[in-house]
Amino acid sequence: MNPLEATSATTLTEEETKASTELASAWNILVFDDPVNLMEYVTKVLQKVFAYPREQAEDLMLTIHTAGKALVWTGAREPAELYVQQLHGFQLQASLEKASS
Amino acid sequence: MMKVVPTVEGGLRIEVGTATDWLVLEQIAPDALKMEKESLASRLSALMDEASEWDEMVVPELSDLFNRQLHCVQETVQGAQKASEEDPGLGHLFISQEDGPIWYGALNQARIALEGYYRFGPAQEIEEVESFPPPKRSAFIRSQFYSALQSVLLEHVIE
Repeated sequence: MNPLEATSATTLTEEETKASTELASAWNILVFDDPVNLMEYVTKVLQKVFAYPREQAEDLMLTIHTAGKALVWTGAREPAELYVQQLHGFQLQASLEKASS
Repeated sequence: MMKVVPTVEGGLRIEVGTATDWLVLEQIAPDALKMEKESLASRLSALMDEASEWDEMVVPELSDLFNRQLHCVQETVQGAQKASEEDPGLGHLFISQEDGPIWYGALNQARIALEGYYRFGPAQEIEEVESFPPPKRSAFIRSQFYSALQSVLLEHVIE
């Protein structure tokens, strides 16, 4: 095998491994406080996106409001990205971060 | 004076009293585009890491959603205004229950843009507001109106 090909094959495998590890790792969704979104709206969005009961959504909203941010969901990267996309669609400031193991 | 009344169908009826009221309603879309250098979708994307390819995959879709919200509101306001010019007895517009989230989103875009542009801050004292230069003061008052309308939408229209 051409040594160059071997190197490239190894690199690809490493990238693939990295990608699959990233997908399998746990990711946190954070929602940040902002001066615009109304508290009741944030509660309703959390209920709608994550199907949280009203009380849980309200608790998270209050954490966002008082602490400046809250961890609202943890799980695999793929569904996490879909959730963040929905949160952005509702104009909430949300981000993803890798959960510490 | 503008009046906002819930309808039996689950929407809202806005009774528009004066030309100034129409101006305020017309201003929702232009206010939302105040931060035109960087769209809301792009600003939200800045919260994501590069690996997510958010700019390529998500931003176009979100931009489209946000633009449709503004377009719908603008069209409703212009249509209602035209009807009121033809028949002064029709000084009102309706927000249907299904359009409630669209209106909410458009009003939110306007408030986010105004906040980003003028930096009103979290809790403005009335004395401070009075010292604002006229464009900032009127933007602040519009933002307060948009917020009040959003609260009515949340209470009566959006489930």
